Amino acid sequence: MERIKGIFGDFVGRHGLGVAIYISASVLVWVIVLIALPQVAMLDYSFRHNLPPAQIGGPEDVYTISNYSYFLFGNGESFNALDTGVLFKTLFAAAIVTFIDILICYPIAFILAHSATGVAARMMVLGLIVPFWVNEILRAFAFRVIFGATGLVNGIGMGMGLWDTPVDFIRADVALYSSLTYSYILLMVFPIYNAVEALDRNQIEAAQDMGAPWWRVHWRIVLPVAKPGIASGATIVFMLTAGALAAPQIIGGPSNLWFTQLVYQWFNDASNWQRGAAYATILLGSCLTFVLLLMKVFRVPIGAIGR
Amino acid sequence: MSAPATSGRSFAVFYSILFFAFLFGPLLIMTVTAFNSSSFPRVTPWECFTTEWFSVLINNDRLMQGLVTSIFIGIGVVAISVPVGLAGALALSEINPALRSALYTVLITPVLIPGVVLGISTIVFWGNLGRSLGGGAQDLFFNGIFLTIVGQVTFISAYAMLIFSARLQRFDPTLTEAALDLGATPGQAFRRILLPFLRPAIGSAAFLTLLASFENYNTTVFTILADNTFTTALASKIRYGTDPSLSALAVIIIAVTLIGAITHEAYTRRREAILGGAAARSALYTNPLGRIVTHPATIFALLVVLAGFAVWKGSQHEAAECKMQIMDEKRANQERLLEEQRLRMQQQPQNAPQAPAQPGTPPAGTNPSPFGGAFGNVAPGASAPAPATPAPPATTNPSPFGGAFGNVAPGATPAPAAPQPPPQPPADANPSPFGGAFKNIAPAP
Amino acid sequence: MSTRDVTLDHVSIRFGQHTAVNNALLNIAGGEFFSFLGPSGCGKTTLLRCISGFIEPTEGRVLIGGKDMKRVGPNKRPTALIFQNLALFPLMSVADNIAFPLEVRGVGRKERRKRADELLDLIALPGVGDKKVYELSGGQRQRVAIARALAVEPDILLLDEPLSALDLKLRQHMRTELRAIQQRVGLTFIYITHDQGEALTMSDRVAVMNAGVIEQIDDPLTIYEKPRTPFVASFVGETNSIPGKVVSQSGFDVSLDTALGRLVGRSAGGRQFASGQDVVLFVRPEQLMLDPGGKIAATVVKEEFEGSQRHLFLEAGNAALRVSRVGGGAELMAPGLAVKLNFDPGRSSVMPAAGA
Repeated sequence: MERIKGIFGDFVGRHGLGVAIYISASVLVWVIVLIALPQVAMLDYSFRHNLPPAQIGGPEDVYTISNYSYFLFGNGESFNALDTGVLFKTLFAAAIVTFIDILICYPIAFILAHSATGVAARMMVLGLIVPFWVNEILRAFAFRVIFGATGLVNGIGMGMGLWDTPVDFIRADVALYSSLTYSYILLMVFPIYNAVEALDRNQIEAAQDMGAPWWRVHWRIVLPVAKPGIASGATIVFMLTAGALAAPQIIGGPSNLWFTQLVYQWFNDASNWQRGAAYATILLGSCLTFVLLLMKVFRVPIGAIGR
Repeated sequence: MSAPATSGRSFAVFYSILFFAFLFGPLLIMTVTAFNSSSFPRVTPWECFTTEWFSVLINNDRLMQGLVTSIFIGIGVVAISVPVGLAGALALSEINPALRSALYTVLITPVLIPGVVLGISTIVFWGNLGRSLGGGAQDLFFNGIFLTIVGQVTFISAYAMLIFSARLQRFDPTLTEAALDLGATPGQAFRRILLPFLRPAIGSAAFLTLLASFENYNTTVFTILADNTFTTALASKIRYGTDPSLSALAVIIIAVTLIGAITHEAYTRRREAILGGAAARSALYTNPLGRIVTHPATIFALLVVLAGFAVWKGSQHEAAECKMQIMDEKRANQERLLEEQRLRMQQQPQNAPQAPAQPGTPPAGTNPSPFGGAFGNVAPGASAPAPATPAPPATTNPSPFGGAFGNVAPGATPAPAAPQPPPQPPADANPSPFGGAFKNIAPAP
Repeated sequence: MSTRDVTLDHVSIRFGQHTAVNNALLNIAGGEFFSFLGPSGCGKTTLLRCISGFIEPTEGRVLIGGKDMKRVGPNKRPTALIFQNLALFPLMSVADNIAFPLEVRGVGRKERRKRADELLDLIALPGVGDKKVYELSGGQRQRVAIARALAVEPDILLLDEPLSALDLKLRQHMRTELRAIQQRVGLTFIYITHDQGEALTMSDRVAVMNAGVIEQIDDPLTIYEKPRTPFVASFVGETNSIPGKVVSQSGFDVSLDTALGRLVGRSAGGRQFASGQDVVLFVRPEQLMLDPGGKIAATVVKEEFEGSQRHLFLEAGNAALRVSRVGGGAELMAPGLAVKLNFDPGRSSVMPAAGA
């Protein structure tokens, strides 16, 4: 309490009472009412039974772990391979998409930071941003147009006689992974760019001058500088990919579900909000665990994200 | 220049071209499909150049209703998240370093938390609150627009905060100290020194938060409840079948973006030239005519006029004749298929149901795919063959046809009414992608 | 006592464990040009910020015009600070910058503009009021910053290394200019610098600081000629330091044994030394003279020519010595040459060795 008072006093001293009240009130409402309490409410909800509205708060309304045990064991005693499999697949696929994005974006971030100048650089930045402004739904849609049975790839492939019945790229999730990779490119390029841009070009030249081949220059000089940027971009891309809902709904294969789709189904199709909340909690928990684990492995602080 | 440097350079150019081809390819393809009259968005085969999909888009009431809702929500989100994000950035820049990283972690988590989680936690929390408060609160806290604004503000504020933080990092705190030293009160220094410095960031934060709010799907699809925003309407439209009016939408967005981007580029260049002083001022900027021509407002006006002209020209375009021709071809094609089928059925009546499952015999030049689309459009006269082939589509025709075929096979579609025999304009509320398409083809046989 | 006096009454400033300023005690007279000279990190900027009100002293008092400044904010003190980076407001015109202090005091627009134009005349920059700050040259910005500070009508002007961003020529020009402005307006100027040239040319008095401690306060000539501590002797100007042991002392003259033989020097600050005490003798390079009858024998290592001066590097009894002479004239001396040196004991200082 004393500490909060002290911080508030600092704000008053720096900007005056009005501004200090504005800052403190906004931040407190944001942190407590918008961020913390809803998560707590969701967690609480996930431990309850799905009751008709009249019974909520009544004697039936007790805590239960049934929503979580359902995720693990289904209705029976056996292991719920379907839902756990979907979670595992989602995390794995998100990791793959993230990795591909790193591979694609690292070179372009480096080129943007150290090769492109003036108009070319501005044009490249613009070129990165424009696709990002097109609605997420439409981006997924574009990949449906490309990879659909009557899509461009099949049209060209069959036109050239490479194959003669349409290849089902959608069932194979090719369309989905391409679309997810495409969608978050910008969020990978900019963090890496920000990190790499800080590198003094002389260091690269000095390394070259000392006879290092290009790959060694990158491995020893550029990559260490880019690491926080890569970590930041990878975290954002991974979380967005694992949490994506629109793209799987639009171009996901009919039999391959994304974990968010399970959550959606519990909520909207089965109207079981409690179980949906439990599944959402599982999604959040496993994503965060995964990311924190990776950050630990690569020794990157969470404060590096978004910078 | 040494050899390795040159090869590095050409690699950079080569890679950049590949990269941007990947980035722009999908947009380009979408743009092309927006002008193809084929009722499923595609590039090949090309049927007729048409602008009808734009009017289909604009006549989609559900989308337009969603647009109004989205704008309303967007304004609300901007109005809240920009000041909240600013407060967050100020707090971060001024508290002591130990607390700073803790606060930063808390404030940045909404960006990382999956959108569905945010959406769910928002409706659960406010629902509980509404239930316990009762009365008017209950109505408000179960209102989709309110919940969506609250849910979006939770993480969009963090975007705004990141923009303000970046700008604040370049702020020279001695400016505030100088103002205080010169006799200003802390409040005066804030208003006269810090706020004007942040003004450009306020603009870009407002823009970005509006865009983020408009685009958001994952959170909104939960919080909007029974209502619809533009994006959720769009998504449900796509999930139940597509038509090129969505490509038309993409074209509009890209066009608007490009106009904005070019204007911004003109503005940046002009500003650089002016800031660069007399030496950097080229003849273009000193010459009065050049000044007017290169002024961002002129360029903006020019682009808008150009776009307007394209719209007018497009609205004049009449694709009916071309489409008639295509349709005749299709019908001829189809009759031939039917004829073949009949022949085959006569030969092996016991295998009849399998026959249409092998469209491997269409005449050269016809992709098996247009089949589905063709069925939809020929509906009035050709309803007979449809029930004859209800089962096979799943094996013959991979998923994207689910929607297209659905219209031919009653019962398999959420909106079966649209393509049924009477070719009258469907009711406005009908979300079927073919509704609009039909309107334009209606006068046909 | 004038309103332009500044008194630091046993001021100490600590940040956690670190002591930035230790027990500063001094009195600056109204209308004086007073400099704090010291290396970076010696606490001089902290002291300045304390006088201007951005930092409260941990101990002691700051008095301005005899009044205790405790809990008086920077915007309420009769001081104006000129920042190292000048802190001109980039989004305002020159005139708006200068008139800002009047604006926040509620002075009307017309009146503000009039006053700004007067101040621009004072700093000899008439007619630039409508320009943007970035359109001015470095020296012009400097003067605008001064004009803005003067618009407050302060009693004391505080300057935090304001010339450090300028190039050498302009810096030398601005020294003269600053001094001229100070004499024209008659305010107390408190000037912070690590550049001894600036401190010595402009100031009435200089305080030399090291590691939070004020080591000596004197007029520039005394600081240079009669340093009181080893730090002052070596920080201000070049010097030769010769360690030795005291043999005897008569009056201010100290006789000591060194590696160069027995020498006589002047006791700094009239200190009394005990026999056998470890001391250091400081002699400026220009005070060491080549003298065939001199007592100190040395060997030439090399001689460097630097225009107006030449520097002779010598070795004597395992110690390195340096002699400065007028630049032109004779040939440079060859390495290996044996020479004799002498100096006037009155122009040397003997101090206790560090740590003794």
